Amino acid sequence: MPEIRVTPLGAGQDVGRSCILVSIGGKNVMLDCGMHMGFSDDRRFPDFSYITRNGRLTDFLDCVIISHFHLDHCGALPYFSEMVGYDGPIYMTQPTQAICPILLEDYRKIAVDKKGEANFFTSQMIKDCMKKVVAVHLHQTVQVDDELEIKAYYAGHVLGAAMFQIKVGSESVVYTGDYNMTPDRHLGAAWIDKCRPNLLITESTYATTIRDSKRCRERDFLKKVHETVERGGKVLIPVFALGRAQELCILLETFWERMDLKAPIYFSTGLTEKANHYYKLFIPWTNQKIRKTFVQRNMFEFKHIKAFDRAFADSPGPMVVFATPGMLHAGQSLQIFRKWAGSERNMVIMPGYCVQGTVGHKILSGQRKLEMEGRQVLEVKMQVEYMSFSAHADAKGIMQLVGQAEPENVLLVHGEAKKMEFLKQKIEQEFRVSCYMPANGETVTLSTSPSIPVGISLGLLKREMAQGLLPDAKKPRLLHGTLIMKDSNFRLVSSEQALKELGLAEHQLRFTCRVHLHDTRKEQETALRVYSHLKSVLKDHCVQHLPDGSVTVESILIQAAAHSEDPSTKVLLVSWTYQDEELGSYLTSLLKKGLPQAS
Amino acid sequence: MDPECSRLLPALCAVLVDPRQPVADDTCLEKLLDWFKTVTEAGPSLLLLQENPCLVELLFRVLKAHDPRPRVLSFSLRLAGLFAAQEDCFQYLQVTPSSSVSQQGELLPMLFGESGPLGGAAWTAPTVRSGWLQGLRSLAQHPGALRFLADCGAVDTIFSLQGDSSLFVASAAGQLLVHILALAMRGPAEGHPSPQGCDWPACAQKIVCHVEDSLRSTATLQVTQALNVLTTTFGHCHSPWTQGLWVRLSPLVACLLEKDPIPASHSLVDLLLSVARSPVGSSDCGLWETLAQTLSHLSPTQAGPLALGILKLQDCPQALKTQAFGVLLQPLACVLKAAAQAPGPPGFPEGATGDSITVDTFLSSKSACVGLLCQALAHLELLQLLPQRPSPWPQAPLLRAAVAILRFCHGSAAPTSDVGGHLCAVLAGCVRVQRAALDFLGTLSQGTGPQELVTQVFAVLLEYLTSPDSSPMVLKKAFQATLRWLLGSPKAPSCCDLDPHTQLFLGELLPVLRKRLCSPCWEARDSGLEFLTQVTRHWGEVPELTGQLLRDPESYVRASAVTATGQLSSWGLYATPTGPEHPEVQQESLFTELLHILSTDSEGFPRRAVMHVFTQWLKDGHADVAEDLEQFVARVLQAASQDLDWEVRAQGLELALVFLEQLLGQPGSRCPYAVALPEAAPPATLAQVLQALCRVQLFEFALRALFDCDRPVAQKSCDLLLFLKAKATPCGGPQEAGASPDVVSVEAALQRWQAGEQGQPLGELEPEAVMAVLRSMDLEGLRGMLAKSSDHMEKSPQSLLQDMLATVGVLGENEADCY
Repeated sequence: MPEIRVTPLGAGQDVGRSCILVSIGGKNVMLDCGMHMGFSDDRRFPDFSYITRNGRLTDFLDCVIISHFHLDHCGALPYFSEMVGYDGPIYMTQPTQAICPILLEDYRKIAVDKKGEANFFTSQMIKDCMKKVVAVHLHQTVQVDDELEIKAYYAGHVLGAAMFQIKVGSESVVYTGDYNMTPDRHLGAAWIDKCRPNLLITESTYATTIRDSKRCRERDFLKKVHETVERGGKVLIPVFALGRAQELCILLETFWERMDLKAPIYFSTGLTEKANHYYKLFIPWTNQKIRKTFVQRNMFEFKHIKAFDRAFADSPGPMVVFATPGMLHAGQSLQIFRKWAGSERNMVIMPGYCVQGTVGHKILSGQRKLEMEGRQVLEVKMQVEYMSFSAHADAKGIMQLVGQAEPENVLLVHGEAKKMEFLKQKIEQEFRVSCYMPANGETVTLSTSPSIPVGISLGLLKREMAQGLLPDAKKPRLLHGTLIMKDSNFRLVSSEQALKELGLAEHQLRFTCRVHLHDTRKEQETALRVYSHLKSVLKDHCVQHLPDGSVTVESILIQAAAHSEDPSTKVLLVSWTYQDEELGSYLTSLLKKGLPQAS
Repeated sequence: MDPECSRLLPALCAVLVDPRQPVADDTCLEKLLDWFKTVTEAGPSLLLLQENPCLVELLFRVLKAHDPRPRVLSFSLRLAGLFAAQEDCFQYLQVTPSSSVSQQGELLPMLFGESGPLGGAAWTAPTVRSGWLQGLRSLAQHPGALRFLADCGAVDTIFSLQGDSSLFVASAAGQLLVHILALAMRGPAEGHPSPQGCDWPACAQKIVCHVEDSLRSTATLQVTQALNVLTTTFGHCHSPWTQGLWVRLSPLVACLLEKDPIPASHSLVDLLLSVARSPVGSSDCGLWETLAQTLSHLSPTQAGPLALGILKLQDCPQALKTQAFGVLLQPLACVLKAAAQAPGPPGFPEGATGDSITVDTFLSSKSACVGLLCQALAHLELLQLLPQRPSPWPQAPLLRAAVAILRFCHGSAAPTSDVGGHLCAVLAGCVRVQRAALDFLGTLSQGTGPQELVTQVFAVLLEYLTSPDSSPMVLKKAFQATLRWLLGSPKAPSCCDLDPHTQLFLGELLPVLRKRLCSPCWEARDSGLEFLTQVTRHWGEVPELTGQLLRDPESYVRASAVTATGQLSSWGLYATPTGPEHPEVQQESLFTELLHILSTDSEGFPRRAVMHVFTQWLKDGHADVAEDLEQFVARVLQAASQDLDWEVRAQGLELALVFLEQLLGQPGSRCPYAVALPEAAPPATLAQVLQALCRVQLFEFALRALFDCDRPVAQKSCDLLLFLKAKATPCGGPQEAGASPDVVSVEAALQRWQAGEQGQPLGELEPEAVMAVLRSMDLEGLRGMLAKSSDHMEKSPQSLLQDMLATVGVLGENEADCY
C-alpha cells in the first residue's frame, strides 16, 4: 500500500522551530526550516542529522518549502543550505523571498556580532541561499519534477504567508504554515479550495482559544498609547523590523489623523523605508481595503511617522517610538528602554512574545530591578504592557479551514500538547476524520489507496454515449468492458475489441438444466404447450417457436425430449447464457411447476 | 554553586513540582540542565545534593506525583542521571531516603526501574522515554551503574526502545546500548576476549546476543537497528575487544549479503565502512572480500556510497579500489556509450564499460536515472578533490561524460542509440542533473584536457550561459564553472597571455554577459556580477556594464556592482562612463559616486560594500585616495558616522584604523605618509599626526562610537583608541593639557554621549585635549566590559532561576505564539 509519512523535527507538540518532513509518493519534502530564538547553541536549529544519515541531503530531499518569513519558519535555512549542504530547490512566495534576507540579517547581527558566536552563517551565505529560492505565485501549480507538484494558497498571518498543497499523483498533503482566518488591518483571511487532501497539516497555536475580536485589542492599545502621550509620557514599542510593526504603524497613523494628535511618532530601525517599500511592492498581497485605498493614497506612506534619530530620545515631551529589536535584548530598543525606564510617566508596550533571558521577558514576568552590564541595577518604573497582535487562526478558524479543505486526515503541529489534545477530539468528533499530533521525532504513517490510472477506449465511450445518456460528473455510472493490462498500463475496452487485440476466440458459456414433465404427448406437442404457456406468461419478452421444434425466450433455449425409460414423462432441456441468468432461473422454476392443462 | 543560586533553588524546585504552575519556557528546563551539568562537572555532586536537599526532594516529589507533567518528569530523570554519574553520589541516591517526604525508598530504582515512570501513563510521552534514556546515559559511567542496569532490567527496555515510534528515542536507545557495551567491556574484560564470549561480562554478552538475534531476524527494521548499533560501536570504540566482536558477528553480516534483496543495505554499507576504518579493518583480510562481494551484490545506487567510502580508505587492496572506482564510473560510462557517435570503449579504466545493470537502472524510471547520475557526479566530484583519488585519473573521458550529460540535459545531443534516446527524453531540462553536472565540470577544471575537449567544455558552458531555459540556479553554477575553467587555465594573468581558444570564448561570452546583466531576474544579474568581479582583469568593456548596475533596483545587485567597480578601479580599469546616455555622471569620479551611494542608498548591503571598497582603496593607496588623503577620510567618516547600519559604522572604524596605522607607520604599509614617518614617530611628527586626526574628525567619530548602542561598534572603537593611546604615550606625546577648557568640554560631551545623548557635536578639537582625555579614560576597563557578550548577564544561572520564578502566575497572559 502506498503511504504518506510525516515526521516533525520541530513544531511537533511545541511552538518552537517549525521543520516537518513529509514523505509522499516516494518524494521527500521539508516543510519550513525554522530556528528557535530561545537557544544560542546548536539546539536552535532542527537536528538535521536525522536526514543526513539517509545519504546525500540533496539526493534525499526533493525540495524545501518555506511558508512565511518568520524566523521560527525560515531561520535555519541558510544554515541548512550553505553549511549542512542542501543544494536543491527551495520554494516560497515572492514577498517571503524578498523579506527573508532582512530578517535573517537582523538575526545574524544578533548572533554573530552581539553574542560573538563563531561558526554562523554569513551575509554571503544568506544571499547564496536566497539564490536557490524559486518564487511561486498564489494558485500557481509548480512542477518540482515530473511527479511532484506544489501549489500555494493565501494564508493571511503576515505579508506573503502561504499554505502549500503538495501533490504526487493522486496523493496530496496540505501544509498551512501559520495562518489567520479573519482579515486584519493590512492582510486578508486565509483561503483554500475544497482540495480534499489525504492529509491536512495545520498549525494549532490557539487550539483552545476563541480569540476576542482584534478590534478590542487595538482599541486597548490606542487607549494606552493615547493616555501616556496625553500625560506627557513617552511610549516605547519594541518591534522586529517587519510585520507587526507595519500593522501598528497603520493603526497609530489613522488614530493620529482622526484625533489630530501632535506628539511625534518615530520609527527607529532605518528599515522602515525598506519595509514599507515591500508592502508597497506587494500590494496585491494585502487586504481589499488597502488595495482599494491604494488608488487614492498608499497606506504605507505615513504622514505622522518619521525616521528616528538617536538624539530624539532625549527630547523633552511626549513621543512614540518603534525600535528594534523586539525582545529588548540589544541595540536601539534596549538603549531607549534604559533611558526611559526610570520614569513612571513612560510606557513600554511589548507587542510580541519574548524568549527567556531577554530584558523583554524579564519585565513581562514582572521583574522591576534588572541587573545590566557592569553590575548596574536598572530600576524599571515605567509601565509595562503586553499585547499580543499575532495573527493565528483560533479554534474556530482551524475548524473552519478543516471544513473548507475536507481532508481525509488531520495532523496538528505548532502548538502545545494539551491544547492539541482538545482540538484533536473536537476535529475527530465533528469531521469524523483521524487526527494526529506527533511529538518531534515521531513519525505518523498513513496508508493511502493506490491509484491506478485506466485509459478507456473511445469505442467504449461512444457506445455508452449512443445509449443516449450524457455524462454527468455528479452521478457515477456503471460501465461494462474488459480491463486489459499490457506493458504496465491499464485499459478498459469493449469485450469485442479485447478479443481482437489479444487474438482470442470467444467461448460461449451456457447454463443447462433438465426439467421433467409428466406429459404423455409427443415431444413436438409438449414443446408447443411450453411455447403457448410462456407466451402467455412472459408478455414483455420475445418468445419464439422455431421450426426445429425448440422454443427460445431471448437467449434461452428450450427443447423437449422423450424420457428414455418412462414414455409418459418428457424431459425439457433448458439452457441459457450468463447474461440471462436471472431469466433462465425464473423460467426453470416456472416450468418445474408444470404446464397448465389444455382447455 | 553560587550562594544566590543556592538561595533561589528551593523556591524553584517547589515551582517545578507544583502541578498548578506551568513550566515557564520550553527552553528553561534545558538551560537549567546545562547549568547543572557544568556544576556537576566542576565539583562533587554529593556535596551539591547535601547542601541543597531540595534537589533530592524534587526528584522524590516528581516521582510521587499522581499525574506528573511529562516535561518535568523527563527533566528529573535527566537530572538524576547527571548526579548519579559520580559513583559516590550514585550510592547516595541508591540508598538515601528523602528527608521530609513521607514516602521513602531507593530513589534510582524508583526512577529508572519498572516501578518508576516506565509503567506509568507518562511513559507514552516521547519526552519521558527520551529523558529516561538520557538519564541512564549520564548515569552509566562506573561499574556500580552496570550492576544497577542489570538489576533493574533496564537493558531489555532499551532493546525495546530501539524500535520506538520516535526517531529521537530510537536513536538514543541505540547509542545507549553502544555506551553500555563499551562500559561493560572496560576494565576486567579489556584485552582480547574470546569471540565466543564465554569470558565476556554478562551485560555485554546480553547485548551482543541481542544484536545477533536481530541480525538473524527477517524484519528489516530489526536488522537495521543491529547494524546501526554495530556501526556506532566500531566508529567509537577502538579497543582490542572490538576485534573479537567482529570475528563473532562477521559471519552473520556476511549472511545478509546472500539475501535478495539485501536488507537494510544503507546501514550495511555504513557498518562495513565503519569496520574498515577501525583498527579491526586492517587486521581482517576477510573484510576486503566482504566489501568486494557487497559492491557486486548491491544495486548501482546502493553501491555508490560504499564505493566512495572504499576509495577514501587509506590502506585497502588495489583490486578493491579498482572495483570501487569502476562502480562510480559505470553511470558515466553508460552516458558516454549512449552519446558515442561511433562504437568503441568509453575510455575509462577496465571494469567501467557501462554494464547492463546500470543501463537497466537508467531505463527503469526517470527518478532512478536522475538519482543515479546525480549521485555518481557528486561522488566523483568529492573524489577528485581527495589526495588519495585513483591514479591515473581518467580526466578526458570524465570531461567528455560531463559535457555529454550537459548536452543531454540541454537537448543539444544527437543520440544514436536507444539508451541515448531514452537519456535525451529523461534528462531534457532536468535542473537537478544540470546543477550536479555543472558542479562536477567546475571541479574538473583542476586538471587539464586535450584542447579539442576544452573547446567543447567552453562551448557547452556558453550554451548554458546563453540559453533562456537556464534557471537562475543553473546559471549561477554555469558562471561558477566557467570562472573555474577560465581561472584554472595555467596562463591567465592577463588577456594577452590567453590562448586563442580562450580569447575566442571570451569574445563570445561578452554579449551573453551583457544580456545577463540586464536580466529581469536579480539572481541572474547578481551571479553575472559576481562572475565579473572575479574575471574583470580580462576585459576593458566591463566597467561600463558594472557601472550601470550601481543603480540596480535590487540591493544585493547594487552591492555586488559596488564591489566590482571598486575592484576594477583599484586595477586602474574603471573609467567613469561617459556615454551620451549618462550625462549626469559624466563629471563625477567613481569616488563621488560611491560616496553618494554611501550617503543615500536606502539599504545596507550597498553601503557596506562601499565601505569595504573604500577601506581596500585606502590600504592599496588608490589614486583617488592619494589625491587628497585627509579629504577622503574625512568625507567617508562623516558619511559613515551618520549611518543607521551598525556594520557601516563598524567598517568606518576599520577604515579609521587603517588610516591610523598608515600615519603612525605600521610595518608593511604602502601609504605615502608611511614613507615620511619613521616607525617610532618623534613627538613633533606625532603632533602633526594628531592634528591630521583632528582635521578629519576621526576623534569625534571614534569617541561617539565608543558609546554606540551596537556593541561591536563600541568594541572596535575601543580597540582603535587603545591603539592610538599606546602609540602616543611612549613618545611622551604633546604637553599635558591639564584641565584646560577644551578637556572639560570633551569630557562633558563624553558624559552626555555615555548617557545616550548623541545630539551635541564636539566642534573643533585640540590634539592635546584629546590625548589628555584618552589618558584619563579607563579604556582597558571598558574593553573588558565590552568583551563580555551583551547577554552575559542574561545568560547567567541567577538570571535563569529568577526568570523561571518570576514567570510563575503571569504565564497565562504571555503565551508563546510566534516571533
